[in-house]
Amino acid sequence: MVGQSPSRINDADLIREAQQGNKTAFEELVRQYDGAVLRLALHLTGSEQDAKDIYQDAFLKAYRNLGSFRFECSFYTWIYRIVTNLCLDHLRRRQVRKEDAPVLTDEHGEQYSLLDQVADERAGASPERDLMRREMGHRINRALSKLTPRERMVFEMKHYQGLKLRTIGEALNTTEETAKNTLFRATQKLRAVLADLR
Amino acid sequence: MNCDWVKDNVALYVYDELADDARHEVEQHAQRCPACADELKDMKRFHRRMSEMPVLEVTPNLLASARMELQEALEDAEQARGWHKFVFDPMSWLRAARFSPALAAVLLMVGFGAGVGTTYQLAKGGKVPAAAVERHQEAAIAGIRNITQDPGTNQVKIEYERTLPEHVQGPVEDPQIQQLLLMAARSNYNSGVRMDSIDLLKQKPDDGRVRESLIFSLRYDSNPGVRLKALEALTGEVKGDIRVRNAMLEALLNDNNAGVRTGALHALEQVRADTSVRQALQQLADEDPNQYIRQESRRVLASTPEID
Repeated sequence: MVGQSPSRINDADLIREAQQGNKTAFEELVRQYDGAVLRLALHLTGSEQDAKDIYQDAFLKAYRNLGSFRFECSFYTWIYRIVTNLCLDHLRRRQVRKEDAPVLTDEHGEQYSLLDQVADERAGASPERDLMRREMGHRINRALSKLTPRERMVFEMKHYQGLKLRTIGEALNTTEETAKNTLFRATQKLRAVLADLR
Repeated sequence: MNCDWVKDNVALYVYDELADDARHEVEQHAQRCPACADELKDMKRFHRRMSEMPVLEVTPNLLASARMELQEALEDAEQARGWHKFVFDPMSWLRAARFSPALAAVLLMVGFGAGVGTTYQLAKGGKVPAAAVERHQEAAIAGIRNITQDPGTNQVKIEYERTLPEHVQGPVEDPQIQQLLLMAARSNYNSGVRMDSIDLLKQKPDDGRVRESLIFSLRYDSNPGVRLKALEALTGEVKGDIRVRNAMLEALLNDNNAGVRTGALHALEQVRADTSVRQALQQLADEDPNQYIRQESRRVLASTPEID
């Protein structure tokens, strides 16, 4: 098949090879999960640069500590554990600085939000409708920024990444029950803040 | 099941985290209880609204650039194992200090002593040594990483990066030169430099790291000239290395530059009996927007013996 590896080696083999210092094997592992990792970081930080920094920190940390990986959980859970910790640190730092959604500056010195760059490509989209969606997006983003870092993380992993609560609990080093309670609190807060959105 | 239970679990219902029997009971309860029916309806509306929000998606460019930077960083990275564990690592000492009051106290005392000593030296000189300042001035500031202000004071901490121009000279096979060429091929912002580095690297296409780098350039470099250079350098390896062949096939089918696609087509001619190559050529013969590529694909296919 064009564009695919001639033989699909499983994670365990790749991890063992990478543990022996084979960087190509590690890069193959990275490629299996890096899209999801970058998406999670991008959603949570709202900044391409911050997302790339977290992505790089996560995989470098994974590479450096691969020797201590004992196959007690899947590589998927392990890398998610690393990346969620880095994202939580980032969200906590941002909360201390009381930042809202990140705003970038273009080459003319004008400020814009990255969310403004998200085009509505669905059929029937009109400029007015697009504007309304963007405004709604900003409101939702502000509501999300009011959650605690942990609530934000659980909501992101459940709503946007579609992960099961059991997996989320494993990634956050907690129980499924705690993840459930955190999701409940997050949805209650968001519903209260966005109650007038109909 | 009562109303409180439904209200506590309505989020799990819309996020598909309830067992089938519990889902069924929620639905049955909502049919009998208007308040819970409203709660369920409101939760479903919330879920829909949140799903309609425009979200940032990872573009192929962003992913490629993240991968490129990671590969560059990995070149210098070492795994923590063996004797590395016994090497003095100040950060791990600091991490350990978080959990060890005694060690933290010792480190504080050492730090205090060193600070007093340094202040004494500076005070004797009367000002900051000029050499240190000059070094700051020599190096251009590459970017500001972070700005923080100490709460309640006018003290601002600015973290920035500096770039210091240096040069190195040596034979092309020198390991340090090779390392720099590999780095230049992957990450230099100047496409001319990337091309020059590939020109030099292609002298050793059988070196594993060089080949990885050439494959990477063929797949991800934004400049078609660089991709073409990498493709030329890899042409001799198409027969012997399946990874090279796959990268060529990707270029043949997906590269947006007709020159690169043509180059890949000619490179793959030597393995035209390969099933994947034949399939790709058939696709190109039927669909490629470029007339020359369609004709060439048909020509190569016509000269390929059918294998049943």
